[in-house]
Amino acid sequence: MSLVSLQSVSKTYTKGRERVDVLSDLSLDIEKNDFVALMGPSGSGKTTVLNLIGGLDHPTSGDVVVDGASLKSLSPGKLARWRSQNIGFVFQFYNLLPALTAQRNIELPLLLTKLRGKERKQNALTALDIVGLGDRSKHKPSQLSGGQQQRVAIARAIVADPSILVCDEPTGDLDRANAEEILDLLQTLNQKHEKTIVMVTHDPKAADHAKTTVYLDKGQLTVQEPVSSAS
Amino acid sequence: MGRIQFLLRCMFRHKLRTTLTMLSLVTAFLLFVMLRSVAVVFETGWVNFEEVRLTTQSKYSMIELLPLSHQDTILSIDGVVDITHASWFGGIFEEGETGDATFAVDPESYFDVYSEYVVDPDQLDEFKTTRTAALAPQSLIDKYGWEIGQKIPVISPIFPNPAGGPFVFDLVGSYSSTNEGNDFLAFLFHYEYLTDTFAFGRVGWYMLTIDDPERADEIAREIDSRFENSSDETRSMTESESFRQFASQIGDISLMVTGILSAVFFTMILLTANTMVQGYRERIPELAVMKTLGFSNSSVSAYILAEAMLMCSLSAAVGIGIGTLVVLGVQEYMPPMIPIYFDPVTCIWAGAIAVGLGVFVGSAPAINANRLVIVDALQAH
Repeated sequence: MSLVSLQSVSKTYTKGRERVDVLSDLSLDIEKNDFVALMGPSGSGKTTVLNLIGGLDHPTSGDVVVDGASLKSLSPGKLARWRSQNIGFVFQFYNLLPALTAQRNIELPLLLTKLRGKERKQNALTALDIVGLGDRSKHKPSQLSGGQQQRVAIARAIVADPSILVCDEPTGDLDRANAEEILDLLQTLNQKHEKTIVMVTHDPKAADHAKTTVYLDKGQLTVQEPVSSAS
Repeated sequence: MGRIQFLLRCMFRHKLRTTLTMLSLVTAFLLFVMLRSVAVVFETGWVNFEEVRLTTQSKYSMIELLPLSHQDTILSIDGVVDITHASWFGGIFEEGETGDATFAVDPESYFDVYSEYVVDPDQLDEFKTTRTAALAPQSLIDKYGWEIGQKIPVISPIFPNPAGGPFVFDLVGSYSSTNEGNDFLAFLFHYEYLTDTFAFGRVGWYMLTIDDPERADEIAREIDSRFENSSDETRSMTESESFRQFASQIGDISLMVTGILSAVFFTMILLTANTMVQGYRERIPELAVMKTLGFSNSSVSAYILAEAMLMCSLSAAVGIGIGTLVVLGVQEYMPPMIPIYFDPVTCIWAGAIAVGLGVFVGSAPAINANRLVIVDALQAH
């Protein structure tokens, strides 16, 4: 059984009198431990798919089933709790809280757990070590480079040990060298830590790090193929 | 990082803005405690005054004197236990020092009626037997550096000495009150010295003790009825009511204080609400991220509300603390005529206002945070 299953999903936004069909009867299955790159032109519905998988948005019709759980059946409160336990988010612009240090940014999702203060701190430091920033725990986001901020964001995404990482253009704001480091890190998380990763990207080189590439156009799946060069 | 620490970090994300807002709130609560401590005196009277004590004064004015013959009539009324009298002398010890109270009193009965006053028995005996004797509270003795046995020259604009120059009293002792800080302790001298000098049998007012505080109004009415339609009609009331009426001659202090505090807190509401709304707008992406990470709508709005309440409560705690110290200091070291009294209820009110203010200014951002749609918020920023 697939870990993530989008079943005949449609999504329509209404802006005033205008209706915008973003996704039309889209079905997509993502296997456990897959690393999927979602590609396609702007407005093709990539981010919408990501939002639906992450439980940030609801489909107009159809259903999203993740690890056997139908997201449309969950109340907002339960959906929030489900997100905290199952999904890690990585954004293009990092979205770290500027008032908090790297370590405290990473601890933030752990406030929703029953872990004690010492355990939260230890888990945050472990996550920082995984992303290679163990020596930057006391730095605030403004004291870190873009690549380092994205590493902290990834550490925050994995600290609660979710099974799925959804990444919205994680290298979109980085130079090539930093982008490569981030992609290598995601690949490591996928291969060593068995995280299922769904990544939206415009960059074919970034997509080369994935195991599967999915192309979307006008809200419909056009191609789904394994990436032969995935290392 | 715990939840409280997270709240504090968020609250002080703009240190200068938050600090300035909190300083404004601290000032507002400091003002609240100080002004209410004045107003409470005018609203309720001096709380330590004995309700078993009544005062009887002229019906028309406090400066109208009453005949000494009223004393026996009042004492004969059922329920009246003891009676004494005093007269405002308006004495001045040094040029420019007009704030000291000086009373001509009946030494035989004054300390019976004011049973909370403590005086050395030998000094009291000397006070009773010496026509020029005077007793002073320790605060006055310290103020002027007097010593027991010293002669004290006193000038009175109300009763100028017919012989010219000041009246001269022999300071035979000091007295104090068991009601620390809240009594109206005056320089006391022998009434006979005054009445012999001016050959008149009148007094400023009477103080009397009664056997049952529940009957205070009834006895007061009875006293006044005895002198109704006479040339010296009276007005009797409890001692605290008497003080309240005396103090309210300055004006409706309570209304003035309420007006000032309303203006202060209205401004505070605008200022704090502005800070909170600005903070909310700046943090919309952060709040969206929090929701993305799994914080529920209600928990995000609870954080916003808690932040507002924490800011108001911390400021209030500091303001109330400073205000309490200031009021207690004024109460302790200023002359008892300064109408200020620290009432713990004032602090409770201040605390309640702080919580109310926090809820009020935090509600709108909290509601908006609750309604925040993650996808829209992330896209917009």
